[in-house]
Amino acid sequence: MARYVVTRLVQLLIISFIISVLTFLLVHLLPGDPSVAILGPNDTPQARKELFAQLGLNKGLLQQYATWISNVFRGNLGQSFLTHQTVTNALSVAFPIDLELIVVSQVIALLLAIPLALASALRPNRLFDRSATTSTFALLSVPPFVAGPILVLIFAVGLKALPATGFVRLSGGLGPNLKSALLPSIVLAIGSIVVYYRLLRADLISTLQEDFVTMARSKGLSTPYILLRHALRPSSFSLLASAGLAIGSLFTGAFVVEAIFAMPGIGYQLVQAIYSNDYLMVQGMALVAAIAFVVVNFVADLALTFLDPRVRRA
Amino acid sequence: MGAPAILEGCGTSTGATVATPGVSSLKPRSGGTVTIGVNSEINGFLPSTSHWDNTGLTYANTVFDSLTQVAADGTAKPYLAQAVTPNPDKTVWTITLRPNVMFHDGSPLNADVIVANFEALRASPLTAQAVTPISGVAATGPLEVTVTCKEPLVAFPHYLATQVGYPVALAQLEKNDTQHPIGTGPFSIVSWEPNDHFTVQRNPHYWRNNLPYLDSITFKPIASDNSREASLRSGTIDLMLTRDPHAIQGLRNNPGFQQIADLHRSVGQTDSDFIILNCAAEPTNDITVRQAMAYALNVDELVRLFGAGVTTPNLSLFPPGSPYRPSDNGYPTYDLNKAKQLVAQAAPNHGGAIKLTLATITDPRLLTQIQAVSNMWELAGMQVSVNTVLQVEFIDNLVTGAFQAYTDEMFGASDPDLNYVWLSSTTAGGPGSIALNFARNKDDVLEAALQEGRTQSDPAARAAAYQTVDKQLAKDLPYLWVSRATWSLTGSNAVMNFDNLTLPDGSRAQGFAGGIFTPTPMWRRA
Amino acid sequence: MPERVPTVSQLTAELAAADLGAEGALALAPQSATRPRPARRALGVLFWVSAAWLGLMVLLAVLAPVLPLKAPNFQDYSVVNRGPSIHHLLGTDDLGRDLVSRIIFGSRPSLIIGFASISIGLVVGGVMGLLAGFRGGVVDGAFNAVSFVILAFPALLAIIVIEEFWGRSLLKLVILFAFVATPQLFRVMRATTLSFANREFVVAARALGATTRRILLRELLPNVIPAALSFALIGVALAIVLEGSLAYLGLSIKLPTPSLGNIINEGVNNNNLSTNPYIALWPSVYIFLLLTTLNLMSDRLRSWFDVREGRL
Repeated sequence: MARYVVTRLVQLLIISFIISVLTFLLVHLLPGDPSVAILGPNDTPQARKELFAQLGLNKGLLQQYATWISNVFRGNLGQSFLTHQTVTNALSVAFPIDLELIVVSQVIALLLAIPLALASALRPNRLFDRSATTSTFALLSVPPFVAGPILVLIFAVGLKALPATGFVRLSGGLGPNLKSALLPSIVLAIGSIVVYYRLLRADLISTLQEDFVTMARSKGLSTPYILLRHALRPSSFSLLASAGLAIGSLFTGAFVVEAIFAMPGIGYQLVQAIYSNDYLMVQGMALVAAIAFVVVNFVADLALTFLDPRVRRA
Repeated sequence: MGAPAILEGCGTSTGATVATPGVSSLKPRSGGTVTIGVNSEINGFLPSTSHWDNTGLTYANTVFDSLTQVAADGTAKPYLAQAVTPNPDKTVWTITLRPNVMFHDGSPLNADVIVANFEALRASPLTAQAVTPISGVAATGPLEVTVTCKEPLVAFPHYLATQVGYPVALAQLEKNDTQHPIGTGPFSIVSWEPNDHFTVQRNPHYWRNNLPYLDSITFKPIASDNSREASLRSGTIDLMLTRDPHAIQGLRNNPGFQQIADLHRSVGQTDSDFIILNCAAEPTNDITVRQAMAYALNVDELVRLFGAGVTTPNLSLFPPGSPYRPSDNGYPTYDLNKAKQLVAQAAPNHGGAIKLTLATITDPRLLTQIQAVSNMWELAGMQVSVNTVLQVEFIDNLVTGAFQAYTDEMFGASDPDLNYVWLSSTTAGGPGSIALNFARNKDDVLEAALQEGRTQSDPAARAAAYQTVDKQLAKDLPYLWVSRATWSLTGSNAVMNFDNLTLPDGSRAQGFAGGIFTPTPMWRRA
Repeated sequence: MPERVPTVSQLTAELAAADLGAEGALALAPQSATRPRPARRALGVLFWVSAAWLGLMVLLAVLAPVLPLKAPNFQDYSVVNRGPSIHHLLGTDDLGRDLVSRIIFGSRPSLIIGFASISIGLVVGGVMGLLAGFRGGVVDGAFNAVSFVILAFPALLAIIVIEEFWGRSLLKLVILFAFVATPQLFRVMRATTLSFANREFVVAARALGATTRRILLRELLPNVIPAALSFALIGVALAIVLEGSLAYLGLSIKLPTPSLGNIINEGVNNNNLSTNPYIALWPSVYIFLLLTTLNLMSDRLRSWFDVREGRL
């Protein structure tokens, strides 16, 4: 067990390192440089030279990378070239937003997908199954930038029950916090619901064919009991695996939702930073997002080993 | 908007309509907070190094004061300054400061601070261009600063109402701090988290008596026009700045809201929406091609399609009613046949076909517009492709001249001289060099007229000079005019008096224009 | 590694094998996702209707330039934002362009992006996943690590940079999407392969001396394909919708060329959702119909194939 954890931690380090190099290179491949965003129309060659020296951009790429990475190890992710806000500060604003949106959206998705899948797997290809499949597909056909404004129109503008934009921190009260996270989480949940439902349904159907289920039925156990106690657990492996992937990628993938709801999460801030060649901000955010992804999948894998009794024996 | 004034006195429910939007004669209530949705985020609070678009200037009006403010009659009157007086030939201006004004950190406002601010402006590449007409700044008394100009600078007081006229405390200057503004303004900073919020609280030692009324204001940058409008409608924010014609139209005449739009009420001029053509690059360097583009552009149709009934066509640098606008500036009006003729005429000189790219920033409204514009040009026989460009690249390409046709929005100014750098032949650069005159239009007559307007005191002569400017622009066609940008400030009925600033001398300020407003006189119903 | 651990059902199967012997174990090998049918049946009406509809969609997309459709980019300012009518069966958009034509032409890049990128992902990722799952060891470790790096890297950054650097075009978009899809399909195939790789029928085949190639093709592939197809199907829809998100950022097919994604995007902007919801509606309906037909067909195909496998 310990060996397993250590192996994965080493993997985390290696992957983070590779990501840091890739991000650094990609960002410097962007055409242009921060000088236009900072100097605007007064971007004379002289001014640019001075700015570059000031920002440390006149050194070679390798040296810039070395400086950056050694600062990262010391906990200094640098600051925005434009606003001078520290990357750490920006992350302290962004991370809680993404964390909460992810948690709430996946809870919503699972709360809907699991019962749907259970009900569908019981009677595959019958009416309920078909309508559930059709409705989830209908959901999938609606992109987040359509679903978002529609939900806002109904719940915020129409019913005035939820805010249209803005994230309220937990310090502002649990109620306002959850209210501000609800609509964007629903939008994010849409894609996940379909994936989880389909996966779980497929796994459940095949599990329900297994002999041990027939055996349980022959023993006279009730259907709900079989479903929940015997079938759900072994069927959730691919669910867990794909949840790890989905959650991890939501850290940057939520940018459309963040833009619509005016929430400065990692995705949104990353895009802003890319558009202004704000190198350190891009590098810092991308690195943290990648590490978050790896950690989440690590946790998912750990959960898998706990769910599966064989590993504990080994 | 037609509710009788008597209703104003009845109760304090937020639903009660307000007779004149943004203006209230009720007794102001002290306290409370207002949330304002703005359209962009700024990059800092130091005027010498930060970009201040309309959001920046609105933010600045909370924590800073400008030395002058534009009044309702169009003149620039002293605001933070007590007086701004010229010598007879307008080459030397004396700024007299108010006594006993303190910055938020307790330091005094005096001549040395103003001089230090000017020095910072001159030293910074961002603002140096704007202050080139000034040759020297000196403190000639504890509260007196003398500014010497290279030549007569008639519009100097108007400059002091722009980004270069907001003094910051010495402490902030010395640290080159862009994140923590220390000004003399009605509010002081509580916190600023870029892309999240900007919160300010009342300054109890503000130099204007009994102002401000609010305890605090929170600004929320909401980039999406749609989301910002929804935020106002749902009550998530109290006040909204927007230039989206659909949002403006949707909230017009809505009894639940008060709306001010600046199209017909501002003095000077607001931003124009136009297409900028590069007079130094193929094929737009050919005047025949530019004329063809102007004749092919059905501006009425464009405004009908995209103006949502809010904007109107404006084929001039100046708005209707402006003394600087000639009765007929000679600008080409829509004539598709003429356009086709000109294209056929010019094509042989450009390899047989006029090919160009029309681009804009990634803004959905502009994106749809350029598809219509390119269609109109293609009907005249040109081959036009359409492109979107990132904002930063957009600016870069304008500056370095790496474009053919872009949409742009500029030229809002309380005095036409403020646009000198963008129009002058002296800033048009040589081939391949940086130019602030993005269109790179060199015209001696135009330049002479600009100089005349800059240095002439006589209003009639100035008017004539700028009318010449407008006519030359209509002749050279570096800009294809479409309409004037309309900004709007819309608020719920709970927010009072947000457009009723009185200047220290008792006269009314110009008020909301170009997306900028001063929140000082605002208060909130219970 | 957790994925290598056999499922509970396999445990049971092993126990059963101990009792029944190898042949008996083979008989119990679980493979189908639906109940085994007693006899082979026809594919069914629903299948053929779906197939026809899919065929129609593809045919319209392919033949679009020669069909009697109005020009997709022709702007007629006299019929802006009209609803469905005789002249414009699905209505017009905010520039007076015919929506029938724009959607059919718009389906071209979207279908290409959706199918091509997922197919590439399926083939490349699938083969790699099959190999990695079966072989294990260094090969698996290496492929796994590479896929993880690609997945962990913020795709957004890569897409923006690559498009800025390299330019936008349909081909580049396909390659980018394929790049994003491949590691995901790799992981799916790998996980599914792993769950089958240790099953008794594979063990049995190995014991009988079958070559790796035969095992891969005859034993594993038929069992792995259903799961992969299921994923791929949703992947096609996700890809088409993702193209819309890119259009939102202005990074998709260059206007005025339509794609389903950028039509939906235009349908949401400029207040069109309120003034003319048809612009956003029809492309969404198209995607929905595509998804449903694909699903129906793949479900039916799967159960049809399973009948074969169920036999001994």
